[in-house]
Amino acid sequence: MKLKKYLVLTRAGIMETLQFRLSFVVMVIGNLLYLIVVYFLWDAIYESAGTDVVNGMTFSDTLIYLVLATALFNFMEMYAVWEIGRSIQSGKIVLDLLKPMEYRKYLFWSFSGSFIAKFLLTFLPTFIAVAIVTNGAIPMGINLLYFVLSVVMAVSINYSIDFIVGTICLYTESIWGINIMKQVIVLLLSGATIPLAFFPDTLRTVVNYLPFQSIYNAPLTILLDGAPTAETVLTTLGTQLIWCIVMMVISKLFWKVSLRQITVNGG
Amino acid sequence: MKRKGLRFYAKIYCKILAQDLKSKMSYRADFIISTIGMIFTNVAGFISFWILFRNFPSIKGWSYHEMLFLYGFSLISLTPVQCFFDNNWSLRQNVYTGDFIKYCFRPINMFFYYQSEVFDIKGLGQLAFGLVTLIYSWIKLGLGFTPLMLLKLIVFLITASLIMIALQNAAAATCFWIQNSFYVLDLAYRFRDYAKYPITIFSSVFRFIFTFLMPIAFIAYYPSLVILRPEKVPVLSWLSPVIGIAFFWLSYKIWMHGAKNYSGTGS
Amino acid sequence: MSAIIEIKNVSKEFKVLNRHEGLKGSLKDLFSRDYKTVRAVDNISMTIQQGEIVGYLGPNGAGKSTTIKMMTGVLEPTSGEILVGGNVPYNNRSKNAQEIGVVFGQRSQLWWALPLVESFKLLKDIYQIPDEKYDSILKLYRSLVDIEPLLHKPVRQMSLGQRTLSDILAAFLHDPKIVFLDEPTIGLDVSMKAKIRTLIHALNKEKNTTVILTTHDMGDVDALCRRIVIIDKGKMLYDNDIEHLKGFFGSYRTLKIRIDGDLKEQSELIQKELPEFSVSADDEWISVLVDEEKAKVIDVLGKLQHSYNIRDMQLEEISTEEVIKKIYEEGVQ
Repeated sequence: MKLKKYLVLTRAGIMETLQFRLSFVVMVIGNLLYLIVVYFLWDAIYESAGTDVVNGMTFSDTLIYLVLATALFNFMEMYAVWEIGRSIQSGKIVLDLLKPMEYRKYLFWSFSGSFIAKFLLTFLPTFIAVAIVTNGAIPMGINLLYFVLSVVMAVSINYSIDFIVGTICLYTESIWGINIMKQVIVLLLSGATIPLAFFPDTLRTVVNYLPFQSIYNAPLTILLDGAPTAETVLTTLGTQLIWCIVMMVISKLFWKVSLRQITVNGG
Repeated sequence: MKRKGLRFYAKIYCKILAQDLKSKMSYRADFIISTIGMIFTNVAGFISFWILFRNFPSIKGWSYHEMLFLYGFSLISLTPVQCFFDNNWSLRQNVYTGDFIKYCFRPINMFFYYQSEVFDIKGLGQLAFGLVTLIYSWIKLGLGFTPLMLLKLIVFLITASLIMIALQNAAAATCFWIQNSFYVLDLAYRFRDYAKYPITIFSSVFRFIFTFLMPIAFIAYYPSLVILRPEKVPVLSWLSPVIGIAFFWLSYKIWMHGAKNYSGTGS
Repeated sequence: MSAIIEIKNVSKEFKVLNRHEGLKGSLKDLFSRDYKTVRAVDNISMTIQQGEIVGYLGPNGAGKSTTIKMMTGVLEPTSGEILVGGNVPYNNRSKNAQEIGVVFGQRSQLWWALPLVESFKLLKDIYQIPDEKYDSILKLYRSLVDIEPLLHKPVRQMSLGQRTLSDILAAFLHDPKIVFLDEPTIGLDVSMKAKIRTLIHALNKEKNTTVILTTHDMGDVDALCRRIVIIDKGKMLYDNDIEHLKGFFGSYRTLKIRIDGDLKEQSELIQKELPEFSVSADDEWISVLVDEEKAKVIDVLGKLQHSYNIRDMQLEEISTEEVIKKIYEEGVQ
């Protein structure tokens, strides 16, 4: 029955999200516009390249990748840094800390409602639409299962990063500055805006050793790979799992240490 | 009572601005981190640009340096919206909590009074990036230099900046009518990323849309043609100052209309 | 004396979205909207003279703020006519703003990060206050309150009391004809309340400024207002002198007695004995609200003396607080 108290938060989140129906319409328009720009931009790039395959990706590969990256972004981005930062600034954090659950979990489950609503309302339709339009360009096999696993871990890693960055707000007064840095780094280095395949070799090697590529690049590559070898699957999911655990531990410890510091200093 | 002319407003603006800067200095950590965040954003923008276009001599007839010119132009023309109209981002919060009402009791223009409260000094960083880019590409392209070109550049930059200001005003004003207007503002914010691409990469339908319905082509593309390709400037480029002013005026009307409709929540 | 505010048959309606409850309701709201009309202010008329202090009272949600917003030009009335200093506030918001000052007890209108004196200087420019006038009002302020320690303190570092005081001073700075004070003493301690009341009173005397005061604190009303206006559910219940109001309940007096034993229990016994009057007890006294049309106080006292050993007694006129409470609960009739 322990799950039930969390599910109450989920339900409240779904209802809240639905009340903001207009934001959905706007979000869809925003994404369509973005994708239109992306489409024509890459169309122009492939035309200039003069070949069908650039850096091992065809035009439709790239497009599917970017469309799904946008859809993933929309359902994973929860502005947790803002939420934490604002709670800290307004002092609401004190009330949240009094709740009979760990703050890290409390926040996550509060967001879970909008996760589900957004997953059903934005990601799933996008995915189906892409699958139908591209007529089989997304391989439908065991890779879907890997993909789901990969996304779950990506959500966890993303949340941990957000939580770590949010914790930094305990020390600084700057929410905007911290948040924008995080967003810029994550979006660029995770391959959310440009597939990692297009990165220059040295940069790509560096990025591969960072946790960010596990958020967008990993799930999308695994999805688009029709016949993945056992080795690729294991390396990709394994790397994600390691990052998942590492980031979770760091975020928990960092929060714990910071909180102690704050309560001691009476900040 | 004296009539309140331009001089009155200029004087008030300078005084409020000076006070705002003084108080900003008292939050030094926030100021420094936000500035670093701004630099990050710009550097990441350049890296993305470089990754995408470094391998291609030209995109749809646009050379690398011409693209860079557009990029620099857009950065500069997006500076005023960042510097002078940043308080639009707080509008939603002010309306939601009812604090907006305090702007209704002063004997000066409400729009002016509201916007005057915040001067975002971070925008100057963006301006610096834009200027360096513009000058660098200007030299690389060998465009030459005359006082007339400088005059043209200044006039077209200023009027081009009005477009994004107008879009943001209108987007922010939606909070007077709908609850979660953050998404609308965010949508408008994303437009600034699209401004840096030449509109010729789009199909005719979207060229029309981005010219007449969502006039983002007037942020950089049309006005910069006056400098970049002076031998065949389209009529729309010459019209861009008029369009900038018209859109600004329209957005001002929408904003004021919303503010007048505002009844204030709570009591 | 001349009329500064004239309100004739003013009503204000709002459209409110009906939200449905539960998960199913949220889904329904996603696709349909149904509105209902709420009448926040219903056919109100009054005239206020220059220099008056008027207490504008009513329970929460009665329509007080809506009326104030209409008088300040923020809201346009749905019907009826408002003239403030000869202007229609909604049509000449900016001009009207020059003539009024507004204080919302809970929300400071000063620049949060600035020392008070810098806020004053900005206001001086915004309201185009001439130097001599600005100096003379600061001189007046100095004679009324100890503002020196406030002047160089940023507003965000002030206590609530200091902030309210500063907000009131800021509202009077440009010598407005009318000042609207919305719960100026809310959340303040007793001595700060007294300080603020004295200040308002002095400014009203000195400048002959009309003051419209909304409050839930009857202490404010007793200290400042001769006239009160009461509204509830958007309708005007009362508009007259405070003395006259007490006249409605003039036959009521409170008899307070002190007796031995547990006061709570005793008061219940007394209530049984005197079923026609309301009896209550606090830590020291048992109070009986006697309607003298029904029985003389002296007879009630005699009756009680038979069964109880009365050690002390007091007789009080009905307080404003009790009058207002009775009106909110029962209306004027």
